[in-house]
Amino acid sequence: MDDAAGFRLEDETVRILDALIESSDDAILAKDLRGTILSWNRGAGRMYGYSAQEAVGRSVSVLMRADGGEELTDLLERIARGERIERHNAVRVTKTGRLIEVSLTLSPIRNASAVVIGALAVARDVTEHNRAIDSLRESEERLRSIVDSAVDAIILIDARGCVESFNFGAEQLFGYAAAEVVGKNVSMLMPSPYRDDHDGYLANYLDTGIAKIIGVGRDVTALRKDGRMLPVRLSVGELTIRGEKKFTGILHDLSARMQMEEQLREQAALVRLGEMAAVIAHEVRNPLAAVRGAIEVIGRRLPQGSREAAVTADIVGRIDTLNQLVTDLLLFARPPKPRPLAMELPTLLGVTTSLLGQDPAHHGIRVEMSGSVPPILGDSELLKIVFVNVLINSAQAMKGTGTIRISLTSTETMARIVVSDEGPGIAPEVRDKLFVPFVTTKSRGTGLGLSTVKRLVEAHRGEIHVDCPPSGGTSVTILLPLA
Amino acid sequence: MTGARFGPSDREKSLHPMENSPILRVLVVDDEALIRWSLSEVLTEAGHIVVEAADGQAAILALETAPPFDVILLDYRLPDSNDLNLLSTMRQRTPQSAVIMMTAYGTPEVTSGALSLGVYQVLRKPFEVHDLVELVVEAYNARAGT
Repeated sequence: MDDAAGFRLEDETVRILDALIESSDDAILAKDLRGTILSWNRGAGRMYGYSAQEAVGRSVSVLMRADGGEELTDLLERIARGERIERHNAVRVTKTGRLIEVSLTLSPIRNASAVVIGALAVARDVTEHNRAIDSLRESEERLRSIVDSAVDAIILIDARGCVESFNFGAEQLFGYAAAEVVGKNVSMLMPSPYRDDHDGYLANYLDTGIAKIIGVGRDVTALRKDGRMLPVRLSVGELTIRGEKKFTGILHDLSARMQMEEQLREQAALVRLGEMAAVIAHEVRNPLAAVRGAIEVIGRRLPQGSREAAVTADIVGRIDTLNQLVTDLLLFARPPKPRPLAMELPTLLGVTTSLLGQDPAHHGIRVEMSGSVPPILGDSELLKIVFVNVLINSAQAMKGTGTIRISLTSTETMARIVVSDEGPGIAPEVRDKLFVPFVTTKSRGTGLGLSTVKRLVEAHRGEIHVDCPPSGGTSVTILLPLA
Repeated sequence: MTGARFGPSDREKSLHPMENSPILRVLVVDDEALIRWSLSEVLTEAGHIVVEAADGQAAILALETAPPFDVILLDYRLPDSNDLNLLSTMRQRTPQSAVIMMTAYGTPEVTSGALSLGVYQVLRKPFEVHDLVELVVEAYNARAGT
């Protein structure tokens, strides 16, 4: 080393230190407090491209970018104060002009009186390292964004079944926030009996290595936070991170597909029912017409006021009831295609209300209408059936006494008709089945009324909802397209 | 919908035909014997003359052998006819007859097809047979332009 810098060391120690310094891959250099390079090892030569001869005596600013003056001043000031600077990340310039990223450690050099006279700088080229970290981070981000943006639920568990990660899709599917699940046993996401057996499945696989589900995929049931169960397709993958087994589960929500399949099945069933209803209509109405006609003729010939004449009138009544059943069935199973025309809802509702009033059973019912809507596009014959059914349901719910309120409002494209009654509302277990055909709570009835109403409303590209507001009663909301 | 298509029936009317009501020749075409029976009973009681046919072939034969008919009551579906061809043929053979079509289940297409072939009314089965007497006279009057 250089005597001029004030080093006074034993020869052997100096040789050992020299050897150590020379053999280092890191760049090691000494500089004084002005930044003049005092010594320069081979590592520095390799890193920066200058030989010791070229470097020693020059300012370290040759290794810095043009705008590095401030950085140098700052570093030298801190050194002068006796500060040790560790892992300072900086950009340096090699002799050929290449920019490299370095991690610097600077230690003050003191003389015998402990006065700081310079700095020993150890620099490590971290360009490759940083690049590797960047690309790792980038690939991790890319993976994370894939996982995060996946519609499917992606869950990572360890070999004990403990959830390690829970993506956005999983949060959506299960209704849990990741924080509520991470760290807990994944079995909380399954209904019994799978919940109780899951630890066993895992242990069994780890013991025997026999995979029952990994790589196969299976339709299973997922348990949501709100207790709802969902059909899902589960595929399980296996990975080893640092010697530890982990499992990834990807769950795809099947409920939409199953709903669609169910709808298709229902539609197919309706088509078959429609065909059946047409046959029934022919085959039942013809004999009904024959019996009705003959009984009518015979009845007229019986003495007026006789028991027998009254019985024939009753028979005709029963036949008409039977025919009504066929008519209802046909209307549900083969609703006529609407022939929509622009029409005024209040007029139609007025006609419907007066029809309702004709039945003595409804004399205690008042109907109040409020609001207004622009003309709608509808088939008045079919919509009359819709509103008669809805109003009769309301009237029956109130046992023939009370007020039915009809409110009319509109959005940009739809008219909104809300029919509210003051009845007892609808039990929750019945509410789900309101539109299911042939399900009825009445002692007599086909259970076709509301199902037909729904079909007719939907044939108009409308919607129907039934709610039981907390304030009581039932409200039926019907949306129909404006003309 | 019930069989009561034309409002409350007026039993007296059919039991005692109106004095100025014309005597009409009516052809009843239906494969159901009870329907033929009840229709011809009420129409005969009302003073009209009824000829019965159980299928399309018999109906055509009746047109050839026992014309003319003022009104034809025609079932849409017969053992030998399940479309509007029979109606079309009958309209050509006897354009002056008023036709009332009866059907157990008529699609809107059948109804509009029948009406476009000049049918006076498409009647849904079952119906009130006594009301039919009135409808027959109405159809005849419409045809005769009175």
